[in-house]
Amino acid sequence: MRYIPNTEEQKEEMLKDIGVTSFEDLIEGVPTGVRFKGKLNIPEAISEPELEEKVYETAKKNSDFFLMKPLIGAGAYRHYVPQAEKFLLQREEFWTSYTPYQPELSQGTLQSMFEFQTYLARLTKMDVVIPSLYDGASATAEAALMSLRLTHRNGIIISAALHPHYRETVATYLAPHSPKVIELPYQDGLVDIAKMKESINDDMACVIVQNPNFFGGIENMTELCGLAHSKGTLVINAIAESMSLGLLKAPGGMGVDIVAGEAQSFGMDLNFGGPYDGYLATKKQFLRQLPGRIVGETKDIDGKRVFVMTMRAREQDIRREKATSNICSNHGLNVTAANIYLSLMGREGLYQVSLVNTKAAHYLEKLLLKSGKFEKVFDYPFYNEFLLKSKNSVSIVNEKLLENNFIPPLEISKFYKEERFRGVLLFAATEVLSREDLNKVAKILSE
Amino acid sequence: MKLIFERSIKGRDGYSLRADLFDEVSIKDCIPDYAAIDAKKNLSEVSEVDVVRHFTKLSKFNYGVDDGLYPLGSCTMKYNPKVNEKLASLDNFIYAHPLAPDETVQGCLEIMYELNKLFCEITGVDQYTMAPAAGAHGELTGNLIMRKYFGDRGEKRYKMLVPDSAHGTNPASAAMSSFKMVEVKSNEKGTVDIQQLDEVMDGDTAGLMLTNPNTVGLYDERIQDIEKIVHGKGGLLYYDGANLNASLGIIRPGDAGFDIVHLNLHKTFSTPHGGGGPGAGVIGVKEFLIPYLPTPIVTFDGKKYHLSDAGEKSIGMVRAFWANFAVLVKTYAWILSMGPDGLCSVCEASVINANYVLAKLKKYYRPAYDRYCGHECVITGRDYKKYGVTTLDIAKRLMDYGIHPSTIYFPHFEPCAQETMMIEPPESESKEVLDEFIDTMIKISNEAKTNPELLKSAPHTTPIRRTDDVTAARRPILNYDDELNVKDELK
Repeated sequence: MRYIPNTEEQKEEMLKDIGVTSFEDLIEGVPTGVRFKGKLNIPEAISEPELEEKVYETAKKNSDFFLMKPLIGAGAYRHYVPQAEKFLLQREEFWTSYTPYQPELSQGTLQSMFEFQTYLARLTKMDVVIPSLYDGASATAEAALMSLRLTHRNGIIISAALHPHYRETVATYLAPHSPKVIELPYQDGLVDIAKMKESINDDMACVIVQNPNFFGGIENMTELCGLAHSKGTLVINAIAESMSLGLLKAPGGMGVDIVAGEAQSFGMDLNFGGPYDGYLATKKQFLRQLPGRIVGETKDIDGKRVFVMTMRAREQDIRREKATSNICSNHGLNVTAANIYLSLMGREGLYQVSLVNTKAAHYLEKLLLKSGKFEKVFDYPFYNEFLLKSKNSVSIVNEKLLENNFIPPLEISKFYKEERFRGVLLFAATEVLSREDLNKVAKILSE
Repeated sequence: MKLIFERSIKGRDGYSLRADLFDEVSIKDCIPDYAAIDAKKNLSEVSEVDVVRHFTKLSKFNYGVDDGLYPLGSCTMKYNPKVNEKLASLDNFIYAHPLAPDETVQGCLEIMYELNKLFCEITGVDQYTMAPAAGAHGELTGNLIMRKYFGDRGEKRYKMLVPDSAHGTNPASAAMSSFKMVEVKSNEKGTVDIQQLDEVMDGDTAGLMLTNPNTVGLYDERIQDIEKIVHGKGGLLYYDGANLNASLGIIRPGDAGFDIVHLNLHKTFSTPHGGGGPGAGVIGVKEFLIPYLPTPIVTFDGKKYHLSDAGEKSIGMVRAFWANFAVLVKTYAWILSMGPDGLCSVCEASVINANYVLAKLKKYYRPAYDRYCGHECVITGRDYKKYGVTTLDIAKRLMDYGIHPSTIYFPHFEPCAQETMMIEPPESESKEVLDEFIDTMIKISNEAKTNPELLKSAPHTTPIRRTDDVTAARRPILNYDDELNVKDELK
């Protein structure tokens, strides 16, 4: 077997050196009652060429996604991933290394994490950053748990315009702690401030608001934070589309206490939903309640600047049941991906790409409204996603788009059951769509 | 080495965008005043060339499985086949949107569906969820399932048993699920103390989290008694898959009575660790627990695959979307490459490797348990303390010889809490590689006696030397701006 190098002769030799005659002697600790004696009923091994063929065939059962440009986002965005990043990520030193427990052999990973922490701290204007949780949804759930610990309160307000998967994940994580959960309704596509005033009180640990929200709407976080803070309630800002950070005011500058984000837009392919990368960014005073790994700078015995995992007394391998979270393996390689991406884009590039996202979305919205086949649902400011109600049947819209190599927008009624959302579509536009693409979409849908 | 920010030159860039930036659309029409910025965010300004050289240099400060032996106990740092990487990065997979219509993602769904069948057969359970992103995430999912299951039955079981030898994730996962963690002691043989288990297992206890071989690499001879005690008192058995490498093809956890099984695809199933992830921690359950799995489940109606809702008993979602799909593709490819005999060979080769290392080193490093081991062995550096040498020194000295150290100071509980080294040489390591490791370890044992200073000051040849972790924690510098602030303060 090409992945198992020892030959039969070597095996025999090793057994002899161990002092046994067969492998069976070594597994004497396995009682016969639990010993599996048959042969696993799975397909016989195939060669590498056969494997390639088989998986290629399976992949072909998908649509030809390279050519299919998405008009859908909803928490997963197709942005262009530079080839330099993909090439660098393939270096085995990044791919095949373990968690950087031994700093002398892991400065590559550690420095990369530190750089990403810096990028995110600057993008969010927060003091400290946990570079990797699993994804934006689980990061939001961890942030919610964190707020319970920080405030010793047991109520949580969740915006109904938070991504439905994030809401579900938060509910799953929180279920054992039975908090009081209040749903915060939206008004014209944004958080209903008047309703928030009614529901906020001294029992509320946090209010979780996504910005830009699930409908693409840009929330007035400053106003929300002021209101929450008047009752000592923390504000968790979930971010599913981190590309927005290149253009929008930083959460830290608006009073947000914890940012729970999804970094997928920073150089990660869609991959049918994962792996992506969740992150948390918060204020210095909350550092000790953060879950997950963080990298700090220090010196080695020669006085050289070096990087190590630090503030480890929060983590499960040290604190066990008293840890701030159970997280161990995270999405480390995705941190390196995001770090390379942000380095390539840089100050000007991130601004420009973020800008073209919102402009493309507004351009598309205008075209679709002009076609007369769509109407507005909300009159709200949005980033790169927006809602429109289709006058034609959604199945016809979908069919036309698929025929022309576009992944259709999300039917919002999959997640929101209100009558007014029937036939409402959540469109997304990113820089991968050219003006010609958008014109084509408008043309197809106006016929 | 310089940080990317220290390579920044004002006005330089490394990005590429279309020329048409929709200039006629006014930014004021898009972004409301309350969210508008007055200055671009302060990122680095570097060219593509700068970036490529920077990260290439950084990578050279890392050690990976492709560099050599990586014998971290309980981490299963096996070789990551290259073809799997290519298959996982096919265009039709990487550009597949998770919310694209089912009919456009039949290939993705087929892989998830087929993989479920393979996992079920390999581990003897009835249905998997592909959602959990890592081992600990699987543990949390499993604990939440137990919680919901007993809740539905009106049983108030609030305790969870975890052996003292368990990885930290087990007690932490139980705590996150609001279980009160109760520790089960190990006996002098390193396995579960049956009598104590019988005493602590009661009607208030939801179950036991266990690995087999256990976390110190030993098969528990009394696994059947453990099963009887836990099930006999109405509890559930949770299998932590960290050590499945030593069970492949010889023990199916489901057959041994485990009700919930998690698999670490980045360990047993060969997907790379990526400097801390991403992996995947899928979990499988026996039939009676299927309704509790997170949404979605991939189903097949004879013609088409679907992402189906798990139903109202489900614990709910544990993440956004469906799975770490790219990791699943690599796993699928690996299982197809191995076949049933190959999986057995994995188990056999890894167990022989670990016992070989143990047999060759036990004269030099007193073993923690005097018995055959599974896929990993525990030896100790306790006899070198009299020379002032610790296990940490031994580990650091190994680096000078170009070998990654084993897991150290685990196990850290009695009776063998002292100066432990847990060595896992997976099936992908050859006898020659192990012989070189063994020779090096013997050489170091001599150095410890004759020149302990050499060990205490190790490593000498790595890009950096030993680090000051105390200062790092006492005065946290957690990003480049912190560093700049500290420099300002010192001025």
